[in-house]
Amino acid sequence: MKIFTQSFLYDDPWSIVSLAFFLRYPNPYAAHVTSCDVISRDFTPSGTLVTTRLILKRGSLPRWAPQGIISRAESWVIEESEVDPFGQVVKCKTKNLDHVKVMQVEEHVHFCQTPEGHTLQTTEARIVSGFGWGLTKRIENHGLTRFKANVQRSREGVSLILNLLRQSRLQPMALGEADVPTPLPQGHTDAANAHQRQASAEQNPPPVGTWSRLKQWLRP
Amino acid sequence: MAHSLSDECTPLKHKYDSCFNAWFEGYLEPAMNVSADPQQRESYSKQKAAEYEEKCGKIWEDYRLCVQKAVKDKGLDTLLQQAREENPLTEPPPVDKSSSPSPNS
Repeated sequence: MKIFTQSFLYDDPWSIVSLAFFLRYPNPYAAHVTSCDVISRDFTPSGTLVTTRLILKRGSLPRWAPQGIISRAESWVIEESEVDPFGQVVKCKTKNLDHVKVMQVEEHVHFCQTPEGHTLQTTEARIVSGFGWGLTKRIENHGLTRFKANVQRSREGVSLILNLLRQSRLQPMALGEADVPTPLPQGHTDAANAHQRQASAEQNPPPVGTWSRLKQWLRP
Repeated sequence: MAHSLSDECTPLKHKYDSCFNAWFEGYLEPAMNVSADPQQRESYSKQKAAEYEEKCGKIWEDYRLCVQKAVKDKGLDTLLQQAREENPLTEPPPVDKSSSPSPNS
């Protein structure tokens, strides 16, 4: 088993970081996310919100992986989160549902408000392979390397959404297309454009909150 | 907003996500003091839950039924069930850095 832990401090308050975290798909840094569905959502007696999401991610196998190690390079991931707006904590747990014998990755992410009004993100991942054939260690090391790279990309995705939210809150008026901020990384613009094209096919009611304004930006 | 696992459900999902996100933004910032007593919190929570139900309840039901069917059609329901039974999502045991390496490493 490999264990990875990391913490990161966002300057922004918890409520906006948490919103960005929930809005993070799609973003140009997460082009591997094929679908994302809410399969259950309930309030607990204490007033927190518990959500289960089912996410399909496309993956790629390392070159040294044996042929037929898995039938297809995509994986279903289950994400269970709990939001406590009073305690200002988001707890989120994810793990892959298939290919678990090859590799199981279980990730725990917490977001909590610091006394200074910033947001502390802590990430812990456990990577276990039960594959055997002398490959267990290699698979786990590969998983760990990939996870480290993905954690960085995932944070960049959240930061991108955060930036859009921040800018939309600074400007109370609904904005025209000319004001759309485009901090998209090079090489990912195709995915982003494709998303915008796809998204623009829908019609929506007039904007109200920050979310609606953000949505307008994403769908010029 | 990302696609649904079934093309058929994607329009419902986008409609639901829009509704939820607008509500969620307010839910994250309770219009009350963080140190409010449990009773105040409870009534506030009930109020927010009722607001969600009123605004998004119907859309959620449509979307949920669509996804539930898609999950079943793709045979994912057994996968989900298994995952929950075999390895429920619980808090991990605390990391003990001083302990001996685990059997697999």
